[in-house]
Amino acid sequence: MNYLLRKFGLLLFTLWIAATLNFILPRLVPGDPVGAMMAKYQGQLTPAAADALRVAYGLNDQGSMSHQYFIYLGKLLRGDFGLSISQFPTPVIDVIALAAPWTIGLIGVTTIISFLLGSGLGLYSAWKRGSPLADWMPPVALFLNSMPYFWFALLLLYLFALKSSVFPLSGNLDPFIGEAWTAKWWSSMLRHAALPALTIIVTAAGGWLITMRNNVMGVMGEDYLAFARAKGLSEGRIVNRYVLKNALLPSLTSFGMALGFVVGGSILVETVFSYPGLGFYLYSAVAAVDYPLMQAIFLIIAAAVLIANFIVDMLYAVLDPRVRDGK
Amino acid sequence: MTAIPIARLTPLAWLRAGPLGVIWRSPRATTGAVIILLIAVLALLAPLISSYDPSSGAFTPWIKPGVGHLLGTTALGQDIFTQMLYGARLTLLIGIASGLISTAIGTALGLTAAYYGGRTGEVINTVTNIFLVLPGLPLLIIVSAFLRGGGVWAIILVISLTGWAWGARVLRSQALTLRNRDFIHAAVSTGESPARIIFKEMLPNLAGIIAANFFGTALYAVLSEAALSFIGIGDVSKVTWGTMLYWAQAKNALLQGAWWWVGAPGLGIAVLGMAFAFLNFGVDEISNPRSNHAGKATRVLRRKSVPKVVDAAGLPLMSIQHLDAGYVTPSGPVRAVRDVSLDVAPGEFLGLAGESGCGKSTLAFAATRLLDAPGAVFGGEARLAGQDLLSLTPEELRRTRWKDYSLVFQASMNILNPVIKVREQVYDAMQAHGVHDKTKLEARARELFELVGIRPDYLDAFPHQLSGGMKQRVVIAIALALEPKLVVMDEPTTALDVVVQRQILQEIDQVRRRLGISIIFITHDLSLLVEMSDRIAIMYAGEVVEEAPAQQIYTAPKHPYTQRLMTAFPPLSGARERREGIPGRPPSLAQEIVGCPFYERCAVHLPGTCDVKKPANVEVEPGHRVACFLQSPAVKPAVYQEEHDLASD
Repeated sequence: MNYLLRKFGLLLFTLWIAATLNFILPRLVPGDPVGAMMAKYQGQLTPAAADALRVAYGLNDQGSMSHQYFIYLGKLLRGDFGLSISQFPTPVIDVIALAAPWTIGLIGVTTIISFLLGSGLGLYSAWKRGSPLADWMPPVALFLNSMPYFWFALLLLYLFALKSSVFPLSGNLDPFIGEAWTAKWWSSMLRHAALPALTIIVTAAGGWLITMRNNVMGVMGEDYLAFARAKGLSEGRIVNRYVLKNALLPSLTSFGMALGFVVGGSILVETVFSYPGLGFYLYSAVAAVDYPLMQAIFLIIAAAVLIANFIVDMLYAVLDPRVRDGK
Repeated sequence: MTAIPIARLTPLAWLRAGPLGVIWRSPRATTGAVIILLIAVLALLAPLISSYDPSSGAFTPWIKPGVGHLLGTTALGQDIFTQMLYGARLTLLIGIASGLISTAIGTALGLTAAYYGGRTGEVINTVTNIFLVLPGLPLLIIVSAFLRGGGVWAIILVISLTGWAWGARVLRSQALTLRNRDFIHAAVSTGESPARIIFKEMLPNLAGIIAANFFGTALYAVLSEAALSFIGIGDVSKVTWGTMLYWAQAKNALLQGAWWWVGAPGLGIAVLGMAFAFLNFGVDEISNPRSNHAGKATRVLRRKSVPKVVDAAGLPLMSIQHLDAGYVTPSGPVRAVRDVSLDVAPGEFLGLAGESGCGKSTLAFAATRLLDAPGAVFGGEARLAGQDLLSLTPEELRRTRWKDYSLVFQASMNILNPVIKVREQVYDAMQAHGVHDKTKLEARARELFELVGIRPDYLDAFPHQLSGGMKQRVVIAIALALEPKLVVMDEPTTALDVVVQRQILQEIDQVRRRLGISIIFITHDLSLLVEMSDRIAIMYAGEVVEEAPAQQIYTAPKHPYTQRLMTAFPPLSGARERREGIPGRPPSLAQEIVGCPFYERCAVHLPGTCDVKKPANVEVEPGHRVACFLQSPAVKPAVYQEEHDLASD
């Protein structure tokens, strides 16, 4: 219990750091971010929008820094991220509400698939070490994992959408698809998600393979494995109850960093496929110097990753009795 | 003595000897290093290789790869091959500079946290954890978006500041284990300054991990630069492989069918990234060597075939004949067990003693086929009730194990699986050999726990809830579960405190008398063996030099080595006297030993005899065998030369 409380404390603390970073950054830049945006939009930015921006940044407010800071935190807690510049006057929170489900669905599903696939192959590669297939896996995995996500996405796009139109070029659904959750909707959704999903799975699975392989090799050096083998246990039992159960634990520990990496990569994958999720909007916001949208998306992504991490921490406590006892 | 004459070193030996020598010991790391060096050379020699300017658009746009332009031209009429060459410069610079900076940050913080611990460590740890979970690329994007126009060094700085956390965590945990090692404690207590301890004592021992971490962060930096450039943050007027991809995408290269414009820089990044990953992986593999217990059975490299089963009538329970075993290493075989023959009678307690490294554990593990790779059996037989364990298939071996013989390993914190309950680990040994009835399992488990003196409630505990002594009792209980005829115990109580050790030994003795099982007990503690054993065998440099009933070994040892060993331990009673160690060291087991292995250290050796011939193991009194020319002039015949040849293949 103590363990989870501590983890939850760290979650809140990290969120607070992220939010504070978000507050400080625009104030660190020389000059006025609104001025920069006005310059970029060359008069397209209406005075009303500029005012809204100044309000959003607290630039109209000449109060002390700490006063501005607490106003900012209060707004965050109410989910008020201000108005988007590039899609003025849509509130940022509306843009996010529209985009988030697509990203969470895409990254959530692909992360689980690539974790299972990569860990399974990693287990095989370590356990069957010495056989040609098992020994070829790590270098291939290292190569796949070293590819820029977006580059592999471009290759897939070129091969399967441009050269042969097996899959659609962009977007998340066919236009005018009608009702959600119908068979037609599902088929369109899956066809659009296939290439982005494939990109993430292929590039991320390599990382999990390497992680799992290292963990299994670590477990294979443990005394309890020698003991299990001496007991004459069947191979299946050793793998399931001794190797896998122990090797998965460090995988979960490194999940946090890996997830951040996958999310980062997916941002660009969405961009390449114009898949209207958070990453795509983050990219558009960067291109359009839409600071409020940019910052809100950063916060939301950070929050999602942190919450996913917390869930993994809870899972860890279920799987590792030592953690439950606070050891 | 150990100094190697310089003249014998090959010209490139400094590459292997230096701190980065690890790179050349792993083929994977070598591949990575060669790729990076190649890219670096191409980047440096760019003006010599290509006479074009990377940014001037002097050519026709969209030329396909061909003779004039190896990789074609861009939409702006630039030569892509030239851009690749020049782009490698900045790409490498960003990767290596960011790798260095973030490794420096991570190393400094990780070491500080580990060295000081306490509050400082806690604060650093929290900061590290925060940076670990904050998603890197979004953070990078948002920071760079605000720092737009800061140039290459701003990008390097931002990447370094987001990429150090993993290194700090890994280093901290490694440094923590190092911090608790004796030599660091010694340095602290002699008053060395923290800076000196950290830089002179700890850092060299962490070099491999730091190097692995550097390559890991360099990979992260190369990929991050590519990502940032691709979305147009950073200076897109500079040529890097990342900005090349940005321009390719901005000019719709793929829609124009110009796949080479996208393909070349992306492949470049992937190959460079892979090279860094190979280095990371390879260096890590070399600096954290992992032993493993995955082999299903010890390799048997015998040439002579032996009958699989012989009639057990008239044979001792366990009969080891001319066993040769050891380790296959890159520099040749190490013969840790040399032509050893030993018998164990039913119900007998056989003690096996000798200094560390004399081959006693290797003997026990090889005979029971539990020696892990690179361990192997080179020759001989090991028969349990007539059946040659060295001929069994893995499945036959699995079925025999625990049912016919079991093992108690050295007490270790990790001898039990930490994530499943003790109950399951007692059950599964029995289940693997056909006991499936739940009530029987439960009854037997409780009975066993009573037998070794643990409350049966502890069946529901997890291993971490048990003390070291209790764990070892559980292991002994498990070893007795199927009432095997033979239990091999490898220093089962060495790591425990004296009181617990005594209790456990008494229980072992009672149990084996009650059940009539044979025990092979391995230890370097001779006084303990004298008390417990029926018979004792003394090993030296892979050979059994003396073997006799315990009382005789104690009162009338015949081999000079045994005599020295006996005086090295205080007697159980009687006046205190000065103890003497044995000067010198045992010979290396990697070499062939011509004469008596103890020759160098023997005070009574016979020059011209002991150093040129091997004494035979002769029964000089009933039940008392010894291999020493002072006892018998018999010379050992070279019958088993065949296996020795194999061992040196």
